[in-house]
Amino acid sequence: MEEKLISHQNMISLVSDLIKANHLVIGQDDKSIGWKRIADAAEIKINHSGIPSNVSYKEFVFAKTEPIFYYKNKKDDFDLVEPNLEERKIVFLGSKPCDARSIEIMSKVFNWDYKDKFFNQRAENSIIFGVACNYQDEFCFCTSVGLTPTTENGSDIFLVPLAENNYAFRIVTDKGKDFIKPYEKYLSDGNSNLSTEALSKIKHPEKRFESEKVRKWITGNFEHKLFDKVGETCLGCGQCAFVCPVCHCFDIVDEECNYSCGRRMKNWDACQFGLFTLHGSGHNPRDNQGKRYRQRIAHKFKYYTDKFDEILCTGCGRCSRGCPVGIDIAAVASEINFVANQV
Amino acid sequence: MGESNIYKPELMEVTEIIDETIDTRTFRLQFKDKELAKNFSFKAGQFGEYSMFGEGESTFCIASSPTRPEYIECSFKQIGKVTSSMRRLSVGDTIGFRGPYGNYFPVEEMKGKNVLFIAGGIGLAPVRCVIWNVLDLRDQFKDITIVYGARSFNDLVYKRELKEWKERKDIKTVVTLDPGGEVPDWDGEIGFVPAIVEKTAPKSENTVAIVCGPPIMIKFTIPVLTKLGFKEENIITTLENRMKCGLGKCGRCNVGNVYVCKDGPVFTYAQMKDLPQEY
Repeated sequence: MEEKLISHQNMISLVSDLIKANHLVIGQDDKSIGWKRIADAAEIKINHSGIPSNVSYKEFVFAKTEPIFYYKNKKDDFDLVEPNLEERKIVFLGSKPCDARSIEIMSKVFNWDYKDKFFNQRAENSIIFGVACNYQDEFCFCTSVGLTPTTENGSDIFLVPLAENNYAFRIVTDKGKDFIKPYEKYLSDGNSNLSTEALSKIKHPEKRFESEKVRKWITGNFEHKLFDKVGETCLGCGQCAFVCPVCHCFDIVDEECNYSCGRRMKNWDACQFGLFTLHGSGHNPRDNQGKRYRQRIAHKFKYYTDKFDEILCTGCGRCSRGCPVGIDIAAVASEINFVANQV
Repeated sequence: MGESNIYKPELMEVTEIIDETIDTRTFRLQFKDKELAKNFSFKAGQFGEYSMFGEGESTFCIASSPTRPEYIECSFKQIGKVTSSMRRLSVGDTIGFRGPYGNYFPVEEMKGKNVLFIAGGIGLAPVRCVIWNVLDLRDQFKDITIVYGARSFNDLVYKRELKEWKERKDIKTVVTLDPGGEVPDWDGEIGFVPAIVEKTAPKSENTVAIVCGPPIMIKFTIPVLTKLGFKEENIITTLENRMKCGLGKCGRCNVGNVYVCKDGPVFTYAQMKDLPQEY
């Protein structure tokens, strides 16, 4: 790792250069709702002490909706046409540690045996400028899932806010090092003592549950009434999956443009929807909201961990902040810890 | 970047259409790309995603045998958007296919053993591919018994083949109809599959049982097999769950942490028993 220093003014110049170099610079919007393409470097906002945006930036890597191919009707036959994929570098500017790992985590499933080129191409083109996070509220629980507000893992470049609008500029990965080479003129020598001191002042959220306990408890407690209790409250709206930085379930749907052509789309889907697992026969293996919520918890803390040795959760708290009926996933996991400890 | 598109199907031509029952049809399909047709191979029990462009994809097993690689067959019931549009196809029309996906029946390990096939209704489709696989290599297997049942005479699928199997002297074939489902000149058995299995009482020694059918049939057949002395790892069945990608990514076909599309669809009863009730 190399430690450099960058001033806010130089950061603006850097972003301006990146935009000129035709890179896609993605930053958080002013109202902390979501992420957008930055067109003017002066509008950058590096959110290190504010609330995490309502939605994560996963849509720039795992698209909300995208064509996986186009078809054209010919007489008795079809032409299948590949969509063009964005080839530009995607720079995520000011990613909190709870977002920075999201692409790495999702890439496990998208490369499980079969490789999803739509995800992979964008993931490979991504450069993540992470930032140390100095925000926490009652919904934050990154420390319960193996992250902290100062985790560099996942970022290519890691920024630490210092006094006078300066940032410590830590080059974490080789990918980051290669990427920043042409722009080194904006960096000055860093002092790791300063950034280490700044990091030490950041308060970590209290650990709310042991994820490993949740994983172990689910085996043997599959039919536990705890899931039904949460299921009774859940509306099945699916917002939790859509705001989540690592939820990756999708649907495949055809869209006819007209009689002669159309396209097949890959769309975000959510395990909380009743139709998600409905069979053609009418049978539904997850036929109530309790079973669907169990799937959510079990996929995040057990199945994904069993398969890929990775927790499918970054503790960002978005699903809990946004839930219209106040279901807090960390509270459910803590409840499971409590029940598990009773035995 | 050179990665291929795992979601893009290959084009196949419908070369034959067979009506099995009033709402079930079998398609015989051949790849349009001659090179692909030559190199395509699969194993008994694997499945594919069949596309109707503009309608979507549906998941069916490959119902034909891997010993006949020049074509694949699928049997489907008209039930939704994709299958309804598939019913409108004629010979010569085009369909999309992705596959083969999933695991397969342990045909290699079954060599030198007796095989007992038990199927109910449309559940004969996945069993049929193994039956033909075994029959095409007949001398490598010992006794072969087929027990097939359906609700009524009109619900029997692959009728021509049932006749052919019944006439063969080197296999034992028992076809049964649920009470009330028979027709006047019915010469087969009458009764539910589990009872007929018990009556036929095939020996369990050195025998593998392959069981596919409605969950209720499987539920009552397994105790009969256990009573006959079949070991849990010698009872093999398939699971079906809603799928979209077939590739272990879209996240809906899992039963606990087992993905039907990748870890299945073929499971032994020993494996099934450990799964949570989520199928």
